[in-house]
Amino acid sequence: MNYFPWLTIIVFLPISAGSLLFFLPHKGNKLIKWYTICICILELLLTTYAFCYHFRLDDPLIQLAEDYKWINFFDFYWRLGIDGLSIGPILLTGFITTLATLAAWPVTRDSRLFHFLMLAMYSGQIGSFSSRDLLLFFIMWEFELIPVYLLLSMWGGKKRLYSATKFILYTAGGSVFLLIGVLGLGLYGSNEPTLNFETLANQSYPVALEIIFYIGFLIAFAVKSPIIPLHTWLPDTHGEAHYSTCMLLAGILLKMGAYGLVRINMELLPHAHSIFSPWLIIVGTMQIIYAASTSLGQRNLKKRIAYSSVSHMGFIIIGIGSITDTGLNGAILQIISHGFIGAALFFLAGTSYDRMRLVYLDEMGGMAVSIPKIFTMFSILSMASLALPGMSGFVAELIVFFGIITSQKYFLMPKILITFVMAIGMILTPIYSLSMSRQMFYGYKLFNAPSSYFFDSGPRELFVSISIFLPVIGIGIYPDFVLSLSGEKVETILYNYFYR
Amino acid sequence: MEHADQYSWIIPFVPLPVPLPIPILIGMGLLLFPTATKNLRRMWAFPNILLLSIVMIFSLDLSIQQINGSSIYQYVWSWTINNDFSFEFGYFIDSLTSIMSILITTVEIFVLIYSDNYMSHDEGYLRFFAYMSLFNTSMLGLVTSCNLIQIYIFWELVGMCSYLLIGFWFTRPAAANACQKAFVTNRIGDFGLLLGILGFYWITGSFEFQDLFEIFNNLIYYNEVHFLFVTLCASLLFAGAQFTLHVWLHDAMEGPTPISALIHAATMVAAGIFLVARLLPLFIVIPYIMNLISLIGIITVLLGATLALAQNDIKRGLAYSTMSQLGYMMLALGMGSYRAALFHLITHAYSKVLLFLASGSIIHSMEAIVGYSPEKSQNMVFMGGLRKHVPVTQIAFLVGTLSLCGIPPLACFWSKDEILSDSWLYSPIFAIIAWSTAGLTAFYMFRIYLLTFEGHLNVHFQKYSGKKSSSFYSIKLWGKEEQKIINRNFRLFPLLTLTMNNNEQPYTIGGKKEARITITNFGYKKAFSYPHESDNTMLFPMLILLLFTLFVGAIAIPFNQEGMHLDILSKLLTPSINLLHQNSNDFEDSYQFFKNATFSVSIACFGIFTAFLLYKPFYSSVQNLNLLNSFVKRGLKRILLDKIIYLIYNWSYNRGYIDMFYSISLTKRYKRIGRTNSFF
Repeated sequence: MNYFPWLTIIVFLPISAGSLLFFLPHKGNKLIKWYTICICILELLLTTYAFCYHFRLDDPLIQLAEDYKWINFFDFYWRLGIDGLSIGPILLTGFITTLATLAAWPVTRDSRLFHFLMLAMYSGQIGSFSSRDLLLFFIMWEFELIPVYLLLSMWGGKKRLYSATKFILYTAGGSVFLLIGVLGLGLYGSNEPTLNFETLANQSYPVALEIIFYIGFLIAFAVKSPIIPLHTWLPDTHGEAHYSTCMLLAGILLKMGAYGLVRINMELLPHAHSIFSPWLIIVGTMQIIYAASTSLGQRNLKKRIAYSSVSHMGFIIIGIGSITDTGLNGAILQIISHGFIGAALFFLAGTSYDRMRLVYLDEMGGMAVSIPKIFTMFSILSMASLALPGMSGFVAELIVFFGIITSQKYFLMPKILITFVMAIGMILTPIYSLSMSRQMFYGYKLFNAPSSYFFDSGPRELFVSISIFLPVIGIGIYPDFVLSLSGEKVETILYNYFYR
Repeated sequence: MEHADQYSWIIPFVPLPVPLPIPILIGMGLLLFPTATKNLRRMWAFPNILLLSIVMIFSLDLSIQQINGSSIYQYVWSWTINNDFSFEFGYFIDSLTSIMSILITTVEIFVLIYSDNYMSHDEGYLRFFAYMSLFNTSMLGLVTSCNLIQIYIFWELVGMCSYLLIGFWFTRPAAANACQKAFVTNRIGDFGLLLGILGFYWITGSFEFQDLFEIFNNLIYYNEVHFLFVTLCASLLFAGAQFTLHVWLHDAMEGPTPISALIHAATMVAAGIFLVARLLPLFIVIPYIMNLISLIGIITVLLGATLALAQNDIKRGLAYSTMSQLGYMMLALGMGSYRAALFHLITHAYSKVLLFLASGSIIHSMEAIVGYSPEKSQNMVFMGGLRKHVPVTQIAFLVGTLSLCGIPPLACFWSKDEILSDSWLYSPIFAIIAWSTAGLTAFYMFRIYLLTFEGHLNVHFQKYSGKKSSSFYSIKLWGKEEQKIINRNFRLFPLLTLTMNNNEQPYTIGGKKEARITITNFGYKKAFSYPHESDNTMLFPMLILLLFTLFVGAIAIPFNQEGMHLDILSKLLTPSINLLHQNSNDFEDSYQFFKNATFSVSIACFGIFTAFLLYKPFYSSVQNLNLLNSFVKRGLKRILLDKIIYLIYNWSYNRGYIDMFYSISLTKRYKRIGRTNSFF
């Protein structure tokens, strides 16, 4: 085996290199930008290299594991490790964050701090995806909130302070429940706290206690994911934040909630999960319909996209709730796929905002002639968002559908009902996403100021959008890219439900 | 099966991958090297057409194989394999596939040749070709797909292509609305399709057609599945196939003139028929579904025909006639006469393509005179008397019209007659409706023909009416001045009046260039300009299709050789399903045939005659005023008759009020929900 501490390096590299940003000479923003980009790319390459050569796909166990004792007196370990479930989100994090830093080039105000925060967030996210210890997970979860809060409160629209406060209140409220859950799980049963995921996974609890734990974790993750009715922070935050922050929020942060739901709620608390899963499915279907129909009523472009991502998260919840191999695979695929699509949509919305300086959809129109490239990318990605076959969203949603249909846990009638309502969501999706693209680009507009001439997207923006688009279509055409990563692990998780 | 070994190497080339590289290349080129790609634009049409011709040759070869020994080829590769589920991708080639692929490729080749000229001045020339080849790819993928998932995928892709093509001129607000509406409507169809697929997956556990049919028949045979559920699933599948038909068809005409109209009318909508034909083994064991299919078919026949009655836009008239003809096909499928449905699909496609191309040519000629706004260039009110100016187009259009009316030597006669005679065997009520609609078809088709080609060019009539030559006045073609003369005679003419909006904003089509042209053409500087015939590149495909329309009926005319009454089509469809002709006698058959043919032709002639009576160019009808007056005076219930006609026209003009119903009941409610939700 290999004892090189890959994961520790991967977790620590961005933040430590980021702290060096403050010692760079004051030579303008260019140096900072290039330095950050280089760090991000280096990190992504390092991650890919480590996963390529030291990760075996057919092994459902923890790999690249590291285990160092950190704090002696209450048994706190620095435990890292990845498995099939977390490798996808980690690679997604690396990819999206790199592109988000590239997208953040127009940021000039306090660019040093901005880029540092981006890198800090990078570390926090990879840390929480790769931690194998409950308390470490919690710490990483909280650690990553600070850069997000700062990013939200310092860069963005006019109401950014309001939205940042709303965000921190919601997530901090959720964190309280997370902490309660973590401590409860850790301290239950024995004198010494057990925080290791492996040992916890084999532990069983009284049903009432397990349900209480489950609810605690569920609230924490529901805020992050988001699950209705705890989603209200999301449209405000996305509406105000700078678009590279939005890319991170939509691409990665929302996925942490879903990841936690699988990692902790499903894996550690299987009994409670099988009790709660019908409710999860019902909430998920309601969420799909609700968010899709709310999205149409939004005037703000970014809020509309935000609601669309809320709607798409419903599929993840349903997939998790279906307790089938197929459904869970679909949920994981949807995590990855929506990470790409959501990030790309926010990026394109942001770049077109940079040109038009208009927030509300009904003021826009007729932009297709002046910015054809953005128009092309936007329409392709809104197609991806409405689950066009050949794109990743379609495969994910289809697999979730099959997960529901093949699930043996539910009776026929509820299954038909759920599938029917989900399929209605499928009709609502094109209504909002195509009307968004129609209101922005179609039609014509006689601008009052004749001098208003828009630059089409340059090579940098084109690069960002195309490089997000490629994996979307790649997964759509050959979904085994992602499914092969998670397949074994999913089977192991579900094994618990049938043989215990 | 020696053929399979011999020819197996060509199978993978036939379907989808062939035209696919073109849109990708064009897209990449436009995104990365815009100027270079645009400079080379005319070159892109060539590989497009070349590849399609190769595909056509392959599919011809395939169908020859199918005729010689009809066997089914299936090639399957796995797409995703997981522990619990696996999707497969592959080709399923039987006679239906080969018919459809020949149909699609031939039609598309001619359309591409035609549109090279038609679109040559458009800024979106390359985009257009990219969309078209994407469309071809997905259509070919649809007809060759081997399982339901694949069908769903390509179905949706076809829907996307239609979205792109309808919204091709994205600067037009009408096009923007229309393309979104088309996509959403398609999605509603997909909704049914998806639920049906899921239901059948739940019942049988398979997506493959052959497995599916086999398992399903076994289950039905042993009565193991819940009947209601099966019916529900099947009707959902059917709804998915049928729903694409009509609400969006009207708006689909917003696309680049006849091309996208043709795509939708001749090819894409045929996909619905294809799907039902493909799944017919599934439907045929459930009698309710078959009844439902034929019921929907007959409703569509009637609805399409009545809607086509009062369209002023030439393309929309043709579109609704397509809808009506599709109803015939659906009716035939529901009756179980598979052969007749496919035959009508083929003949109708060629005739309709011919009509659409001809109408495109007319529009192209009219654009130079009345301006580029589709409300003017496609409006039949402005046309008339084009026979002198565009003779070749006129011949093509006339042949297409006659074929669609069912006049003997032409293509549609054979197939329509087959359907009509089958309908007698099925149910007399349906048969009566179908027969009378055949008369209606002849009426509205000749209405279009007469308004377009006979009489005088109506654009110049405004001068006779004493108004100034500026077109910015509201144009009442049959305005007050004429009303003194003709009001009594032509009750239908006032209904044709079209008020043009004075303050109609000039549309910018595709960019600045067109916008400039539009504005300059608004003023009618040229006092007496006449439309010109289109270029040879546009006439050539029309002439070829004319030949097709003349001779394609031959594939179902039995060749009397060696005592075998086998024609090509029945050879191709030997194992097909035929519920109605279990034991038919040859002699009786031919007698029946002649009886039916005479009847249907006389009905069509009656329709044509009525159209002549009502829409005869008015200068000549003044002469036999007495005849008409005698008709009019005889009717004492004239007011009542007027009201009825007015009602029918309003019904038709407002598209059966269905759109209005949707917009009131669904769209507004949905928007209100959205607003309410956004408060939270």
